[in-house]
Amino acid sequence: MAVVADGTLPPLIAAQLNHLLSHSPLSFKVDQIWSGCKSAHFSDRFTLLVPFCLDYVKWDVVYNALCPWAAPDVIFAAEDEGFYPFFVAANGQSGKSCLEDWNCKDPARLMLLVHELRDLYKSYQMKRVGELDDERLKFEISTVLSREGIEVCMVSGSERLEEVKFSVPLLDMNLNKLVHGCPWKHQQMIYLQVVFPISRKYSSASSPRIKLVSSSELKSLLSVEDVKLPTWLDGMCMAEYLPAVEDILKAQIVEAIAAIGARRRFIEALASQFGRPLEADSVFCRKATVLAASGVFTFLVHISLSTQFPKQQPVLVLQSSQHFNSQGTPVLSPPLMDYPWSPRWEASQMVERIYEFLAEECLSFKKYCNDSLFQQ
Amino acid sequence: MDDLPLQKIAISGSALASLIQRFSSSSGDVDGLLFGHLSQPTPSNLLEDDLPEPASTRSDSSTLVGNVTGFVCSGTVSSFYDSAGRLNEPALRRFVADRARPDQSQSLLGWFVGRRRTALRPSLREFNVSSSLSNETLNPQIEDSVKIPPCVFILLSTPLIAQSIHTHDHRAFQFRRSSGVFEPKSMDVVNIGPGFRVHYGAFSPNSPLPWLPCVVRDSSSMEIEEEKRRDSLTARRAALKEQKGLDLYAEGFDVGRLGRLMGSEAANYTSELESLYEKMLVKLEGLARNVEKSSARVLEQEQRNMRLRSKFTGFG
Repeated sequence: MAVVADGTLPPLIAAQLNHLLSHSPLSFKVDQIWSGCKSAHFSDRFTLLVPFCLDYVKWDVVYNALCPWAAPDVIFAAEDEGFYPFFVAANGQSGKSCLEDWNCKDPARLMLLVHELRDLYKSYQMKRVGELDDERLKFEISTVLSREGIEVCMVSGSERLEEVKFSVPLLDMNLNKLVHGCPWKHQQMIYLQVVFPISRKYSSASSPRIKLVSSSELKSLLSVEDVKLPTWLDGMCMAEYLPAVEDILKAQIVEAIAAIGARRRFIEALASQFGRPLEADSVFCRKATVLAASGVFTFLVHISLSTQFPKQQPVLVLQSSQHFNSQGTPVLSPPLMDYPWSPRWEASQMVERIYEFLAEECLSFKKYCNDSLFQQ
Repeated sequence: MDDLPLQKIAISGSALASLIQRFSSSSGDVDGLLFGHLSQPTPSNLLEDDLPEPASTRSDSSTLVGNVTGFVCSGTVSSFYDSAGRLNEPALRRFVADRARPDQSQSLLGWFVGRRRTALRPSLREFNVSSSLSNETLNPQIEDSVKIPPCVFILLSTPLIAQSIHTHDHRAFQFRRSSGVFEPKSMDVVNIGPGFRVHYGAFSPNSPLPWLPCVVRDSSSMEIEEEKRRDSLTARRAALKEQKGLDLYAEGFDVGRLGRLMGSEAANYTSELESLYEKMLVKLEGLARNVEKSSARVLEQEQRNMRLRSKFTGFG
């Protein structure tokens, strides 16, 4: 999340932008902030990255530093030429918008405006797609539109071919509630991105491109890229496909939650051999660091656990407490992941085996540390 | 008023230059109104057997040109509309009343916005303002002529990254009320370029001649005599006052004296002529000094405004 770093935006405008960035349930970003004044020390315009349909659309928000109490104007992306919300009808009546009674003292105003515009943009894209002369798309829209949170948009694919992208939120469950002590600020969602090529004839329609998408935060629980998706059969439609994907995902999430327990047991078992860990990730249990010593040589062991634990063994990195390189940073070993391992072992046995392995390995690490000192 | 398509928009070089000057000398964004007239230049390659078509049937091959001949710059934004793009009728009428002329040589043609370092496409508010404006019926109604709503929109901007050679951008649009879209139109700058002579084909002066009272010395007309008698005292008084003013400027060179500057005697009066010029120069210098002083005071006031504004916005 970008935060306005310098104080170049007038306070009234900065308050509104900061409120948008920190209070919106959607993750907006600011690309660039610049000035439109002759004397450039007042900044008053910025490019807002608006999350939409698993991508961002760029809108330029244009304030006026000379009258920061006035409502901003918005310039939409070049490809959205036809998008003009709050159209003032012939009788001078426009749809009620928050631009009409702008209150510069209210920091939530910009957020209200941007949310309002984003909703209108969503309907605009939906309308554009609905007007396409493509029987399959018409059918898909009519069958999946009832799903809450669905978004569609036109995208220009390769060779200037237009495509239609669907963003379908999957699983009607609150992922944030499943994780104990969840640190996520935003509601985590998993989306299915389906990109259809536009074609006039139903019969010649080719399969869409399908991909699971989640926020990067969810990666500490589950990597959706690794989930194997069922194949899209010829003549299939989304309404048929989605339940299958959701079943697979549900199983994967149950597994991922269970995996947290397995990792927690492993980290708890570390105490018996190494003593209490110096540091441990207590929510997702993906990381732990323990202190170890061989004679007078003391070193840290950083243990990283993947979401595939215990199928995948932990990756160990040793860090000397006594050897530093010329930049003053401690000497680290290369990642170690080639040691005896079985996913069927009990957690205590896993820890024992790692302890035994390190008893040997620390000697070569000590030599490695000394060598790296000599090379300087 | 019909929503007829324009072929292009033409603007005189001086109007465009002064528009850009107003924009680039302002401290922030500006907007204002555009005035001008419509013209329908006759194509030069007309064939004799061409039948005249009614204007309404020619939608694609329009030859209607929007000529921008003048503008009013507000020096700020939202001068005649609110943040949602609705018109502020009294403000708009005030602007228009100063400019629009009943003879249609200068009617309200549209509006413009100058905003620095922004994309050269209409914004949300500009769309709504154009849309409201195109429903306006402010222009004087004249029969037997082509009329369109004030639908021209000129957008002025500067490049996003400051450049030394390329300093300004502009783009002209026509807002089509029927379809609700901005159509980009080419903008001809009259007086510039090799083809400029063609522009004078449809030239019509738009500054009217001043009204000169023409008094018939013959005095045979009873009407004039009567009028004269009625107004003679006030008229004489006014004339006397004007004469005094003129004398002040003439510096003692009345018409009789000036008359001697011509003809055979002229050679003897070169020194007098020189002294006349000298006095004129002194006067010009005085004027220049006055302008300088008032400019300094304007600048001072602007700086004071700026300081107040900064204080208000929390920068002070």
